[in-house]
Amino acid sequence: MATSTSERVMVVGIDDSEHSSYALKWTLDHFFTVPIFKLVLVYARPSATSAVGFAGPGAADVLPIVDSDLKKAAARVVEAAKQLCIDKSVHDVTVEVVEGDPRNVLCDATEKYRATTLVVGSRGYGAIKRAVLGSVSDYCAHHARCTVMIVKKPKTKH
Amino acid sequence: MMMMEEGGDKVGTGAEERRMRMKVMVAIDESDGSFYALKWALDNLITTMATVGEATPDNEGMLFLLHVQPKFQHFVYPIGTAGAAFYPASVVEDSVKKAQEETSAALLSRALQICHDSRVKAESIILNGDPREKICEAAEQMQVNLLVMGSRGLGTLKRTFLGSVSDHCAHHAKTPILIVKPPEYLKKH
Repeated sequence: MATSTSERVMVVGIDDSEHSSYALKWTLDHFFTVPIFKLVLVYARPSATSAVGFAGPGAADVLPIVDSDLKKAAARVVEAAKQLCIDKSVHDVTVEVVEGDPRNVLCDATEKYRATTLVVGSRGYGAIKRAVLGSVSDYCAHHARCTVMIVKKPKTKH
Repeated sequence: MMMMEEGGDKVGTGAEERRMRMKVMVAIDESDGSFYALKWALDNLITTMATVGEATPDNEGMLFLLHVQPKFQHFVYPIGTAGAAFYPASVVEDSVKKAQEETSAALLSRALQICHDSRVKAESIILNGDPREKICEAAEQMQVNLLVMGSRGLGTLKRTFLGSVSDHCAHHAKTPILIVKPPEYLKKH
């Protein structure tokens, strides 16, 4: 069962939510106290065209602005994640920002890096009493070709 | 609820037992998927987190093997032609229960052996009821850091589906959950 390359890779999906930074922190705390896994952070950045809901006159003007905003947001997410890693003394981190739907981006990343494990947070919309899995974590749990770890942020009150 | 402990069984005087820093629960059933998940967990999690030797408050962790026996339905079994004679329900019930217990015991002892071979301390637990609910409940009650489950990847369809138990637990478990996919799926690269 041991892979021929002894390197174990853990891909962690990140975004700007609290759930995702909780998931990253949790993973760093539990799996990165010793450098056994190689850490890859993947941020799926929404593309400007998907963010802008309308088409037609005016859309072309808005797109570059939206695009630069998204780039700034991505930079923030990446910085925050890198900082978390540094705080936990994890230095060998690869960060990738890919434009597209998180579902596909994360599954593709696991193939690209031959990941041992994919880690995702889970949004679990609280308004509905039933526990739900966010659509991205659900998709990845079904489709990723490696082990999938879903880290949920505990609710503060039950 | 029945708890079977591995016991303070030492391999030899010099042998050191490896301990995990986290409390990890692995759900076991008769499927190969769950044994594969156990082996995966031992292979990957222990390397990351094992400490050797004496347990100190920081490195105390544990591997829990949970097996849920589906509840046996109490039906009356008609035996004989035209259901003329009935065995008392209790006799049938007892023998099925006994068979179930034997299967569970065999399963868990196999799992414990695997842990033992990796020199990891493990404890086994048997519960009765619906595996979907019981696994989530147990993980929460025992406040495990991570729940590990295998996944059957049902069906001949190209798209993989999670087994219904692992899917349910992925949605409902409050603890972090790790789903290990079956190996034939992984080999298709």
